[in-house]
Amino acid sequence: MDSSSLLNQYPITSEVWDEMCAAGQVRAPYNNVYEFLKEISPEDLTRKEEMARRLFMNQGITFTVYSSGEGIEKIFPFDVIPRIITAIEWDFIEKGIKQRLKALNLFLKDVYHQQFILKDGIIPIEMIYSCPHYLREMHELNVPHDVYVHIAGIDIIRDADGQFYVLEDNLRTPSGVSYMLENREITKRIFPDLLPQNYVRTVMQYPQLLYKNLASLSPRHIANPNIVLLTPGIYNSAYFEHTTLARLMGIELVEGRDLVVHNHRVYTKTTGGLQQVDVIYRRVDDEFLDPLVFNPNGLLGVAGLMSAYRKGNVAIVNAPGNGVADDKAIYTFVPAMIRYYLNEEPILKNVPTYQLNNPEERQHVFDNMANMVIKKTNESGGYGMLIGSAATEKEMEDFKAAILNNPREFIAQPIISLSSAPCYLNGRLQPRRIDLRPFALCGPNGIEIVPGGLTRVALREGSLVVNSSQGGGSKDTWILSK
Amino acid sequence: MLSRVADSLYWMSRYMERSDSILRMLRINYAYSQDDIPEFTWQAALKIFSFQKDEEISKIERNGREVLHYMVLEKENPNAVFNLITQSRENARSVQDHITKELWQCLNEFYHLMREQRLAASLKTEDPMSVLDGLIKQGMLYYGTVEITMARSEGFYYMNVGKYLERAMQAVNILDVKFSEQDYNLDGTHDPIYWRYLLLSISGYELFLRSYRSTLEPRNIIDQIIWNENFPRSILYAVIRLQRAFEKLDMDPQLESFQKLTFLIGKLKSHVQFSDMQTLETEGLHNYLQNLKNELFHIGTAFNHYYFAYD
Repeated sequence: MDSSSLLNQYPITSEVWDEMCAAGQVRAPYNNVYEFLKEISPEDLTRKEEMARRLFMNQGITFTVYSSGEGIEKIFPFDVIPRIITAIEWDFIEKGIKQRLKALNLFLKDVYHQQFILKDGIIPIEMIYSCPHYLREMHELNVPHDVYVHIAGIDIIRDADGQFYVLEDNLRTPSGVSYMLENREITKRIFPDLLPQNYVRTVMQYPQLLYKNLASLSPRHIANPNIVLLTPGIYNSAYFEHTTLARLMGIELVEGRDLVVHNHRVYTKTTGGLQQVDVIYRRVDDEFLDPLVFNPNGLLGVAGLMSAYRKGNVAIVNAPGNGVADDKAIYTFVPAMIRYYLNEEPILKNVPTYQLNNPEERQHVFDNMANMVIKKTNESGGYGMLIGSAATEKEMEDFKAAILNNPREFIAQPIISLSSAPCYLNGRLQPRRIDLRPFALCGPNGIEIVPGGLTRVALREGSLVVNSSQGGGSKDTWILSK
Repeated sequence: MLSRVADSLYWMSRYMERSDSILRMLRINYAYSQDDIPEFTWQAALKIFSFQKDEEISKIERNGREVLHYMVLEKENPNAVFNLITQSRENARSVQDHITKELWQCLNEFYHLMREQRLAASLKTEDPMSVLDGLIKQGMLYYGTVEITMARSEGFYYMNVGKYLERAMQAVNILDVKFSEQDYNLDGTHDPIYWRYLLLSISGYELFLRSYRSTLEPRNIIDQIIWNENFPRSILYAVIRLQRAFEKLDMDPQLESFQKLTFLIGKLKSHVQFSDMQTLETEGLHNYLQNLKNELFHIGTAFNHYYFAYD
């Protein structure tokens, strides 16, 4: 590609931090990739892009959209140009996430036991009891090693000033890790030799780390505990991820109908009879885990599971009830939790967040609505969101009415200008907004974070929403070792 | 192994075997229809391989292209190859952690091939034989991939149970279609072209020439398709393999499930093995085939009941 066209046509502005360029210069970590792009012809790059698409399709790395009675396979759009994070930046992110998770885990243990943090007035008690994801069923239930969040996906963004912020904590069943693994495999194929040249750290160890943690939770002390991955089934949009993880860990992929509870023990139904289950890595939401305790119409879980869990006969990963810690309204209190439980200053900052049940803050938000993002506290996937700068008068009025009706259900944040990274779209480089979701694993011996993550891209021009359900894509994420 | 997984592997394999049989059947019937047979009709084939009502069949039975479309691509037809491949792949999708990555990709590619617009167009306007050959080849890729990549463990043997049960059923079906066109008359037509296509369709022509040398006589054809142990598409061959796959599952002999299946499969095997042309003449070919069908059906039901029932 001709070098003048490559950068000249790449529009950047000072209001947005671009990961590759600063003031017309390529940032040092991107040098090798930039040189590679300069050398390659647009035809070759398009061919590589096509090759990536075909690899995803034939390997079935797809999600299915159901319409008019038949399933249509779609691939989660993949942009070939990697996103690069330096060793220093990663070190900072890693420390920040570890600190945050440590506090969140302590919070979950506390809120389901003595509730010191509520008694000391750090978090108002009504914030907890009004949270629909707070499960009374978890009260006084002792979980193995006091670990609630075994797998966390912490969403991190970079603002115009180049600083990292935590946008969201995902502590229930965060997804996307299979894309972290598959994107890397595809990159190996389309950019041969570029990975070692750049000292990119590997992400391959993720399944083994996870397996080791799952095995350590087994209530029976036996050599080969029976660990299963519980999926809602092939119609779930993350089904590909479930099969990938089960295969990479060598554990059984089960559906609710494969399991049965007998005498407070969970069993799989096999061709040779019943076999006891020790650990369930579930990708089914809390609400559907056990129809006897939660939603009685749920068919995805197992009747009696919670009683087996309470007896300590089976471990569930992640623990039920974690939603009380990643609720968007509780998010505001995470820095306070870090100070309260760890007596440390938070390393990673929160995005400033307004509580809408506080009249003063609410008025401030209403007065500045055009510069605010309003989110529902219990929605995810980019649903139930209003971006002030792009909203119509009518939409704003509707949101105001909804907020006044139930202020606890909403929070507001100033619009954060997510950083941009180059994407290869329609034959040229174009900046698009990105975020980052690293995956952290907590086991009995502490927290480990695989050096990598899922970089999500808002592929629509000007869009700030990176969720796959809203037209987002992904990139391979390179963490450099030097 | 999870009952659900065993069930999915079994059906994945059955659907693949069935689509292979149907594609081959379509190929010969189409080839035969090109041979200046004025009254050629697809009626028998449609009766056995589809669930159409008689009046629907009579609408398309003389239009080869429409029959091909109906049997290969029609989404409303549960036995259309399109639906069989989709089902097979859906089953594979739910047990991806029990089959090799190569096998999954092979089925997945087949599925995407079936969905291509180009396929419908070429089936309509181009040489259907080449199109069918292409699909048959894709199926053979599946067989090869199973053979060289799958571990010989429980799952593999459930796949074999499905495969050979289905193959025996399809061999019975093919005989049924072809002889119903001749009113089950063992001394009927000696039109060599008719029988030649039948044998070609199941890759049995060369073996036939070597075994029987001379004439394409109905009795010899039946002999090969029912009793030739060395012919991989004969009923006896499929039943022997079915029995072997079942034994390899290595179940506890004390269990009722094991005893019941052992009985049913053993009974079927002796039924086939210890019958001959004389039996056919006394029982009548149609009755004989119908009895085999019933026994195969019972075996399928018993597997379902004893091994796959998880609801």
